Amino acid sequence: MTAPEAKPVNSKGISIQRLGVTFPGSGSEPVEALRPVDLEIAPGEFIALVGPSGCGKSTLLNVLAGFIQPSVGKALVGGEPVTRPDIDHGMVFQDYALFPWLNVVDNVAFGLERQGMARDERHARAREFLDMVGLRDFVLKRPRELSGGMKQRVALARAFATDPSIILMDEPFGALDALTRRFLQHQLLDIWQRNRKTVVFVTHSVQEAVYLSTRVVVMTARPGRIKLDQRIEMEHPRDFSSAAFRDYEKLIYEQLDEELAKTFNLEGGGGVFHD
Amino acid sequence: MNATAKTAQNVLPYLWAAIFIVVVWQLVVTFTKAHVALLPPPLLAAETFLNLVISGKLFIHAGASLGRVVAAWLIAAVIAIPLGLAMGRSRRFESLVDPVIELFRPISPLAWIPLAILWFGIGETGKIFIIFIATFFPILLNTVSGVKGVDPVLIRAGQVLGCDTDQALFRKVILPAAMPTIVVGLRISFGTGWAAIIAAELVAAQVGLGYLIADGMEILRSDLVLVGMAAIGILGVLIDAIFRAINRHFAWNA
Repeated sequence: MTAPEAKPVNSKGISIQRLGVTFPGSGSEPVEALRPVDLEIAPGEFIALVGPSGCGKSTLLNVLAGFIQPSVGKALVGGEPVTRPDIDHGMVFQDYALFPWLNVVDNVAFGLERQGMARDERHARAREFLDMVGLRDFVLKRPRELSGGMKQRVALARAFATDPSIILMDEPFGALDALTRRFLQHQLLDIWQRNRKTVVFVTHSVQEAVYLSTRVVVMTARPGRIKLDQRIEMEHPRDFSSAAFRDYEKLIYEQLDEELAKTFNLEGGGGVFHD
Repeated sequence: MNATAKTAQNVLPYLWAAIFIVVVWQLVVTFTKAHVALLPPPLLAAETFLNLVISGKLFIHAGASLGRVVAAWLIAAVIAIPLGLAMGRSRRFESLVDPVIELFRPISPLAWIPLAILWFGIGETGKIFIIFIATFFPILLNTVSGVKGVDPVLIRAGQVLGCDTDQALFRKVILPAAMPTIVVGLRISFGTGWAAIIAAELVAAQVGLGYLIADGMEILRSDLVLVGMAAIGILGVLIDAIFRAINRHFAWNA
């Protein structure tokens, strides 16, 4: 792994202890989305969560964000239990979630304003983070004037600008085309290497997981459990075509394929995957 | 396209509509030989219109009507917007209030005239009350649907960006997100209020476009009736255009 930056960064570990989530369900049957899982994440780690659709990886992320409460067990961030959404736990959403009535710089400054930062100061900081994602010339644009990739870059800048101790990402590049996606992966790595936050990154793409993360966690089909917890021991930037990269991909695909087969069978063999 | 051409393109359809109406009107007068007290020729109506403009009376009538609509509309907004925000936020509160609203909503402002006279007499209050009835519901319903229509992911984004109280979330996310829909409600309700001035001014008015029409009928001056109607139509279109311009300025979704 690359050496961490010299400047101190707000970054906390995450401890997931026997955490399970059961939803009431539409009928009489409750739905077990997440079977109690344990996961320890060190400060500054970049965790990629992969698994079949409905494996509960988004559920886990929503618990960490404080949007839903676990049915059993607990999630700790920096030793404190997560009880509600908090500005210290940043999030990047798949569909960007930019505020359409605010321009780009005010979107990035939104959280800074809530933190009580003065106008000039928060605009300067917002511009600094927009510089990092290459959007210096778009600060006064409205979100609707931007492409999907640009919107997500704004969302990345917005999530990092408030200096949270962890950042949760729910398939942030899932809606983007392959080239834009690659570009954003670079930018995310770049901004993360400057701000070593603890990142939990949900994705469907094994390649993306191996390319970005320090650790890949594979989850099983519903109800979700942890099937594989694999450290990726490669320097950034990583080479997609290197043997080591391919070995990691192969290892993860093997585990994943078993789960995909299960999902397939659960859905009646002839069915199709959700995604 | 430059601004002048754009304006011309916006105004042109109305000009064509006006010419079409005048031509049909003249044809009806020519072929039916209608009595002047029933349907005056366009030229006579135009003359009356011009005289009322020159004497300034038309502006007094229009001003009086406009004043009533603005007053009623503002009162309606002050009540309906907070009520709608509360209904949109709280399902419990909505289920409590909504049946009451739905029972009152189909009742035309006209039906309130007798009670308005009994309660408020024949002064301004009764007239403003009737227009208030006409303006209240569109504002309320749009506010409720605006709040309910806020994208849940924006609420989540607000929460992880430090809106840690309901009040902060409301002020920083829900209200701005719902604003375009609320502004549409304000525009629509001004239109329904404007259309209700006739009903309001049927009640012993001394001035106003509705009065002009009622008075014209009583003294068999259908030219006055037509001038009153034309003024309502033209002002209605103008006010709506102003609202659209304001809306474009405010609405992030325009």
